[in-house]
Amino acid sequence: MGETVGKLIGLNDEVIIPTASLAMEAHNSPSKPFLMKKIKIRHDHLSVVVLAFRGSMLPNDWFGQPPFGERKFRSLTSLNDGGDAVINGSFFQRFNTVLDQSSLVKEVKKAIAKEKQVIFSGYSSAGPIAILATLYFLENPEPNQILPPRCLTFGSPLFGDRIFGHALRREGWSDYFTHFVMKYDIIPRIMLSPSSTEHEQILNYFKSKFDGKNINPALPSGFYLTVMGNASSVASYEACHLMGCRNPSLDIIKSFIELSPYRPSGTYVFCTGNGNLVVVKNPNAVLQILIHCAELGESDTAEVEKRSLDEHSAYLSELKECLGIQAVVSLNGGPATATWNDLGLSPKAMLCLQSAEEFENGRSRNQDQIRKNKGKIEVELGKMRKYKENSEIRRVGYYDSFKLQNEDDDFHANVSRLELAGIWDEIEEMLKEFEVPDDFERKKEFIDIGTEYRRLVEPLDIANFYRHSKDKETGAYMIISKARPDRYLFIQRWLEHHEKKPFGSLSESCFWGEVEQLCIDIKKRGYLQQIEERIQQVERNLIAWIGDRSLDDDVLLENSTFVKWWRHLPPQHKSESDRIEKLIGERESCWSINQIRTGIIWHCDRTVT
Amino acid sequence: MSQAPLFSSAGELANLVVTSNLIDVAWANIPEIQRGPAAIPCSVQPMVYLPTRNRTIVVFASSTNFTQYPLPEVGDLVQSSLFQFLCPKECPSVSINGAALVLFKSLESQLYGLKTKLSEREGQLIITGHSLGGSVAALFTLYLLDSMDKKRKCRPICITFGSPLIGDFDLQHSQWNSFFLHVVSNKDPVPGLFLPSSRSPPTSSHSQTSVYKPFGTYLLCSEHGCACFDDPDLILKILTVASSEVSGEVQVVDYGEILRNLKNSAICKERWQVGFADPFSDGIVMELKTIGIDPAKHNIDISGMEKAARSLTKKTKASEAKKLNDRKKTMAQLEWYKKKAEDEKKGYYDCFRNEDQTRHVKVQELMAELTTYWEDMVAEAERKPQKEGTSFRTGWLFAGTTYRRIVEPLDIADFYKDGGRDYINSKRSQHYKLLEQWYKEAPKPPTREDLDSKKKKVSVLLTEDSCFWAHVEEAILSCQSLTNANSTTPEQRESSWDNLVMFGEYVMKQIENCAVSPEIFLSGSSFMTWWGEYKAYIDNFRNFFSSRLVEYMKRGSYNQYG
Repeated sequence: MGETVGKLIGLNDEVIIPTASLAMEAHNSPSKPFLMKKIKIRHDHLSVVVLAFRGSMLPNDWFGQPPFGERKFRSLTSLNDGGDAVINGSFFQRFNTVLDQSSLVKEVKKAIAKEKQVIFSGYSSAGPIAILATLYFLENPEPNQILPPRCLTFGSPLFGDRIFGHALRREGWSDYFTHFVMKYDIIPRIMLSPSSTEHEQILNYFKSKFDGKNINPALPSGFYLTVMGNASSVASYEACHLMGCRNPSLDIIKSFIELSPYRPSGTYVFCTGNGNLVVVKNPNAVLQILIHCAELGESDTAEVEKRSLDEHSAYLSELKECLGIQAVVSLNGGPATATWNDLGLSPKAMLCLQSAEEFENGRSRNQDQIRKNKGKIEVELGKMRKYKENSEIRRVGYYDSFKLQNEDDDFHANVSRLELAGIWDEIEEMLKEFEVPDDFERKKEFIDIGTEYRRLVEPLDIANFYRHSKDKETGAYMIISKARPDRYLFIQRWLEHHEKKPFGSLSESCFWGEVEQLCIDIKKRGYLQQIEERIQQVERNLIAWIGDRSLDDDVLLENSTFVKWWRHLPPQHKSESDRIEKLIGERESCWSINQIRTGIIWHCDRTVT
Repeated sequence: MSQAPLFSSAGELANLVVTSNLIDVAWANIPEIQRGPAAIPCSVQPMVYLPTRNRTIVVFASSTNFTQYPLPEVGDLVQSSLFQFLCPKECPSVSINGAALVLFKSLESQLYGLKTKLSEREGQLIITGHSLGGSVAALFTLYLLDSMDKKRKCRPICITFGSPLIGDFDLQHSQWNSFFLHVVSNKDPVPGLFLPSSRSPPTSSHSQTSVYKPFGTYLLCSEHGCACFDDPDLILKILTVASSEVSGEVQVVDYGEILRNLKNSAICKERWQVGFADPFSDGIVMELKTIGIDPAKHNIDISGMEKAARSLTKKTKASEAKKLNDRKKTMAQLEWYKKKAEDEKKGYYDCFRNEDQTRHVKVQELMAELTTYWEDMVAEAERKPQKEGTSFRTGWLFAGTTYRRIVEPLDIADFYKDGGRDYINSKRSQHYKLLEQWYKEAPKPPTREDLDSKKKKVSVLLTEDSCFWAHVEEAILSCQSLTNANSTTPEQRESSWDNLVMFGEYVMKQIENCAVSPEIFLSGSSFMTWWGEYKAYIDNFRNFFSSRLVEYMKRGSYNQYG
């Protein structure tokens, strides 16, 4: 209580009404793809530019294209194997048209250059266009941008799936998107039901209403039960997950029914209809409220059905009323808050909300647990580093030493390897099930420790793999096959995402895998052209990775598997002989100097030409 | 840390089922068949529908006449060898409801053909039926599940409406449980028909009827709403309560009407007012009241259910992987122990058998941990229906075999050190026997390793027969009985000699197949001890005796082994 909507969503209250009114206006302006307006704010030097997009009520502009996995935006993907985000194809196509054929980018750049904050907005079907425009400028920020672009939608249909929301939250962008939704408005719920004749009925109704040709078109009827019934399936399925359903039939039943892939993302502001606004950020809670607050109560179906259509056009008046009295609730106080009654939620709905909140708590608890385990990981990594140093004193790389398994140290390293594999496999499973906070994979602390683990320990997994000739059972270790444990693949993606590198490019920890596989393949098949290319790739990778220190120089030890193999290659198949010999030589002299100076191996500065 | 609150999702799962069209699809064709000319009194006919390319529906419909009078006198349980595959190995037999079984058998040849046809279909397979038709549908689904392999192309689900209980078997530990959904109205007397407290007239063998067990998930509905439960005890209780409260007249329950009402009420706010002290108990009380059960009146132990739910920590992939990984760590330690023993020129078997046990406390801890884990895994595989158990265990049989080959010799060492005799017949644990049997039954990879490559790797091999050392110990005992001529009878000596000859052949075969680890030839090993005694005996008493093993050993060929 006492907080205003603006504060909760991080914008000045004064921008909301003008933005909403521009959005309504733009939706019906047939001549322009978007409208632009400057908003002056009292007591604030920063000025705001609002861009609002045109909408369309043609069913084809909503459902013409099937939902599909998106690749245009590199952020819209999961870093574990959840795949790309699924978004609505029709809205995406409309956005691309606006982007390619209008002055949008130019105008936005101009506004940013004048140090203005940009708000993209859209009413109804223009909402998704505003979302995509915001996303476009979040991914391609202007160099002198002071504030990130913002997105406000009013009565927008849902646009992306669970991965879409996950990706927004992972990138920390979720708070930049705010969606206003009326208690009964059918449009924000429509995507939770598969495309059908009911949808066409609804859109045709709005189309004739907005066209102005027919101010009071005939009301469609009977759609409410179908749309809300399907939406209710989605809500119940998600609720089963939130509640930790232990009935194994759930998965079987799910495989027999088709549920809409769409899920809410960003911050939702629900207009209760009695002057209050409820701000909700938990995406699972948003979904439950979307369905449960529009349930039928005492009033009859026809009445609610009519209201679900009327409310879609009522945003401006409703917001004017609400913002006037500034009574706002935020979902941080838990579901027991009395003001929940404003949304008219049933006890069952309250249980769903409670489970949504508990689910979030559970994710934080899992992250805390992983943080606690970091200590354990550090201890094991410390042992590994010591093992590596000790091996080098014996002038054997730890890779080769581990492969031989002759010393006590090798055994202890194996136990550490297994210990670490257990900890990381557990983390990996939690990620797959989305059981940690969405931004986990972007946290520097986890990327760092993960990368260290990957670079230090994956060579030992490879040594173990080829020691037991497992390639005969599963095929080569490298990325394409299933042999490489997912834990390494995931951790590698975190870093690639962090450094904005293409997936698969930072595979330095697999260096030994490719060397071993080449040994085997050459023995089997000789020097085919394809093998020659692979040899040269290994050489290039070695030089690059030794150069940026992502690969440790113990591969260059005189009697390492790599050096022995590489030196035996016929010269005509090599292309970087001089540079690699030089690196090996440097490694040797470096070793001897240090040997004389300190008696132990230490990392030395080495310039790579 | 305080415990995270639990929730009951029985209502949400039911809502998902009711609002999806799955259940409508399953019901859709039943009324039409029951009204239509295809309805033959007192029998059940399967009808196949192919509504879309990747969906097949099999309906077991019975005439309405039959639905109304489902022959209470055949409520008996009959032992059935046909469904023997349902029982886990530990339970002797399976009994099926007589009426359902008679109907199933009358259709057997037809169903066999149907099964073959269905196994070629891809996509979704919905098997459904009403009343006794549902019972036959369930039996057919079980029959189908048993013949499907793991990589089946089509996914089955069996949905029954108002069907009586089928048999005494229990699928609680089986994945098959999840393929069954039983829709039951609290106004329908048929599902509770064979229960002991049911108001149906007593049948000839009434006492027997109490052993019926529900399986699968029950979608229980009343005029107020519905809930899904899968706890067999709770379901039994609810069915019993419902059947005792059904009004005197047996009336036909129209499931089509019930489903329509449930769909409508799914998007209405429910009327129950509950507190929010504890989400689990509040939720479950609300769900039970919805289906017409008052937990207080009917003595339902909510806190017991909560305890059970909490102890049933959901078996996640993460936790299972972690467990197996922990065992790998333990195995690595044992393997290292074995290697250290070899470095000292002693086999780990004899190290463990002959040295001061205080040195080996750690090893015993490791053994105990592994044994507990593997006994549990074996027991779990045993509880599943036979077919499913097989596929369940192929995943870890390799690890189980390594475990058996490393750990069982230590159990043998313990046994003989304490003066035991005849380990294999008197002491060997069941789980070792099963692990060995399953390993032998398991399909081997097509490219079997040739002996040459095996010879090269023999130094890192484990002795394949985990009972090898038990045979050695028995051979030593036989030698002793021969040399201690005073304390044994001639017959005993005769049989000891026979044993030794057989042992010699056995060992030679192992050596030729590279199936033993070279550690058996280490100078301090029990095997070499035996050889010393055996050789002395032959030299003294059976000078002319020879065998391939004797020659092999005398020549010292074993020095080249491995």
